Amino acid sequence: MLIGFGTLLVTGCGGSQNSQNDLGLEVKTITYWSAPNPQEYALAERLVDEWNQNNPGVQVKLQALPAGQSSEEVLLSAMVAGTTPDVCSNIWPGITNDFIRANGLYPLDKFEDFNEIMEERVPEDVVESVKAADGHTYQVPWKTNPIMIQYNVDMFREAGVENFPKTYSEFLKAAEKITQDTDGDGRIDQWMGYRDIRPIWWQRYYDYYTSYITASGGKTLFEKEELAIDEQASNQVFAFFKALYDRGFFPRSTLQGNAFLYGRIAVEFTGPWNIAYLENNAPASLNYDFAPVPVPDGFEGDTYTYGDHKNIAIFSNTEHPEESWEFVKFLITREADYQLLNFARQIPIRKNLLEDPDFKEYFQQNPMLARFAEQAAYTRGVDGVRDFKEILDTVARYYEMSSVYGELSPEQATIEMMGAIEVIREWNK
Amino acid sequence: MKKWGLYISLFLGALVFAYPFIWMIFSTFKPDGEIGNIALLPIEWTITNYQMVFDRIPITKGFFNSLIVTSVVTTSVVIFGSITGYALSRLKWKGRDTLFSISLLTMMVPFQITLIPTYILIVKLGLTDNLAGLIIPTMVTAFSILLFRQSFLTVPQDLIDAARLDGCSELGILFRMILPLSKPAVVTVAILTFVANWNEVLWPLIVIRDQELMTMPQMVALFAVGGGADASIGAQLASALLLALPVIIAYLIFQKHFIKSLASTGLKS
Amino acid sequence: MIKKLFKKINPGVLLSVPYIAHLMLFFVYPVVFSIILIFHRWDIVTPMEFVGLKNIERIFMDEVFLQAVLNTGIFLVLHIPSQIIIALFFAVLLNEKIVARGFFRTLYFLPVVVSGVVVTIIFQQLFSYDDGLFNQLLASISLPQVPWLVSENWAMPSIAMMATWKNVGLYIILFMAGLQSIPNDLYEAARLDGTNAWQRFYYVTLPMLNPTMVTVVVLSVIGGFSLFIEPYVMTGGGPMNSTLSAILYIYNQAFNFAHMGYAATLGLFFAAIIFTVVAMQRKFVETELYQ
Repeated sequence: MLIGFGTLLVTGCGGSQNSQNDLGLEVKTITYWSAPNPQEYALAERLVDEWNQNNPGVQVKLQALPAGQSSEEVLLSAMVAGTTPDVCSNIWPGITNDFIRANGLYPLDKFEDFNEIMEERVPEDVVESVKAADGHTYQVPWKTNPIMIQYNVDMFREAGVENFPKTYSEFLKAAEKITQDTDGDGRIDQWMGYRDIRPIWWQRYYDYYTSYITASGGKTLFEKEELAIDEQASNQVFAFFKALYDRGFFPRSTLQGNAFLYGRIAVEFTGPWNIAYLENNAPASLNYDFAPVPVPDGFEGDTYTYGDHKNIAIFSNTEHPEESWEFVKFLITREADYQLLNFARQIPIRKNLLEDPDFKEYFQQNPMLARFAEQAAYTRGVDGVRDFKEILDTVARYYEMSSVYGELSPEQATIEMMGAIEVIREWNK
Repeated sequence: MKKWGLYISLFLGALVFAYPFIWMIFSTFKPDGEIGNIALLPIEWTITNYQMVFDRIPITKGFFNSLIVTSVVTTSVVIFGSITGYALSRLKWKGRDTLFSISLLTMMVPFQITLIPTYILIVKLGLTDNLAGLIIPTMVTAFSILLFRQSFLTVPQDLIDAARLDGCSELGILFRMILPLSKPAVVTVAILTFVANWNEVLWPLIVIRDQELMTMPQMVALFAVGGGADASIGAQLASALLLALPVIIAYLIFQKHFIKSLASTGLKS
Repeated sequence: MIKKLFKKINPGVLLSVPYIAHLMLFFVYPVVFSIILIFHRWDIVTPMEFVGLKNIERIFMDEVFLQAVLNTGIFLVLHIPSQIIIALFFAVLLNEKIVARGFFRTLYFLPVVVSGVVVTIIFQQLFSYDDGLFNQLLASISLPQVPWLVSENWAMPSIAMMATWKNVGLYIILFMAGLQSIPNDLYEAARLDGTNAWQRFYYVTLPMLNPTMVTVVVLSVIGGFSLFIEPYVMTGGGPMNSTLSAILYIYNQAFNFAHMGYAATLGLFFAAIIFTVVAMQRKFVETELYQ
């Protein structure tokens, strides 16, 4: 009896339905899930309203992904329960492999105009990077949050550092000047920066993983599903952070509270979402700006970084694939991209964003966001390999051992880390 | 002389046990920058921490979720525990002792074994992200059965025989006669079940992903760990205080019962 | 007609049906399924894959799991003796004729009822290396700073300290009940024999407290094996896996990495360890009691 009662409580929402509107015409309904954060949801509401007004025959029902632990788990559960939407725009590339294995996504390259649409908007190397192992493409690159360094302009100037450091050596020199004991009690209370030192896998996006992409000139950990770590880059990254912790420039502790806001640290690894946060919370005296992640000494080439990509996908149990594709195309039009920028302060993955006449003016008015837009073309995401989380967890352990606590040399750490990752892949074959 | 030493030790003990709570309370009214201060009282009293908590997470919803789940579970455990305890103590039937042994066995099997398959069962029943998924697995516990059985064994047989002669049904005997005689057992089971279930966090973390359905401890744990608080210590502490408040209030009201139940349970096991 | 049927079945059985049903669903089925899972690989979204003994092989090569089990053991070794000593100490004090016994008892017991989440959040702040209260207090009396949660040597002891703080109230109560049940004549007799307070404690109190001691140890051990929320919130298992408890490791394997089969294997293995420890305890207790 209680189980019956329980089933009544289950919030089930399925994919597509049909109904009839006032004119007696058949109306197709597609369900669209957006990210739950307030800005993106507000953006989604606007876009959906606009679409619904212009498309009486195909109505879109908007729902926010339930806020909770992680959207990946929510989507996987929905897949298991058969309650996926038609379209979702919060797809993290790292999980798509799991979705594809479960036959949960619709191959988008089946649509005739797919290639044309991709070419108009998305940079070529990104298009390549979202192709699945079976040659099909199951996701449309939508937006990116490039990781850059946010810094306190005044703290740098006061320490006598004129230009933001570009290389590791310059960064360490600046760190030496900035890290100090400001109130004379014998304990350092002002540091160059701070990173969460707990071995939590997703924290590594903001230190090792980003820096690795930078130091390797735009490589990720895998190439075509094979482990392909650029050892030199990995060593340099481990060594860089090790120096920061060994010399006390980054505190080996768990600082509480937003240290950047209070001027206790001068830099922070973050993304464009922080601009809104700073605008709302920073004291008026805080002077901040953004700069690219530093590169190893002697590095040549473009500065790449990690760009937490989010993509759009259509789920395979949709009843209206054609209509869903039309809606997806709508979500990536110039106008929609502009709304993404203006409303949600996020960067669309669109070619030549800064030179594009439609967007030029906006960036002139929003220089902070422009910094990220400049960087957006030079981003990499995660590899869609199985067990990516477990692999990053392994990276986290070696980062902790080598860089944070100095128990392993960078070279040793890289080698052992690669070995450990291979073991994981072996076990999970 | 000895008495002074005694009281000093007791006061130091009291300080050690109370200070972290006191520290927490005052810290929730400090702006983040001040929390690191060794001084206890805020220089600048503020309620922004509480505002952040109420803004960011539906903590009152969490409170009600916890209240619903824990109340239903406690009631259910008392009812089914007493029914089964009665069946195992005052009625004779084949397989009675086997069932009792099995229930003892379940208490010895650590939850680690059953955790994952139970989760999968809940997924199959479609009860993830559903309060029923939290309630049903804990609706009856071997512990309650044990306690009730032990308590019922002490009821004089003549009373039961007399009631049967009067034409009372078994359930009637249980609910109208035996339970009223076993108030301590009922109170003990109710309190222990309530507290344990309210504070349970691992199971909700596994079963519930939708924030609107989370229990209060789960919500606060995720708020503190997951960065929803934007690294604001004050907000984290505020959420912790809000979480602790209902239990502390209930505790202060019912403390005598709490302590008596635990003492008697301890002696019995 | 149905009523007649009901009357035929023994009421005992009838009343036990709900429990039996619950037992089937939430005990028998999980245990059986768990055993089946050991031989499979499963991530819930794709179908189960039979892998024979692979999971069992993996456990024997899993250094991290070994460390997790050891960590749990270290936690128990640090936590239980300190808890017993402190609890006994305060129980003895509270047993004396004092004013406001109720007040102290209420206060000491308060941390027990409060959620582990609350305690963890508070102590995470107190233990913070740069900002935490403990280090600030140390600094104010010119003592060196302690890397409470950021050193592999201090992290687990810190968690053990916190666990003791939280739970000792319960054991104080249990010891108090135990102490109160010791008949006074025993003490009188001992006094007449010319013993001092320490001797009375050692030869009368402790032996009479044996049953309570057993309860305390058993409860602490079972509780200690389920260490999860503290490392989950405070340290994520670090530094360098020094606070990774067995349950946290299993949780990660199952719910972060989706290795259901392997996690089930770990679970059963760990349960076997617990069983063994508890069984050994019982043997030890029985021999003690017979003395």
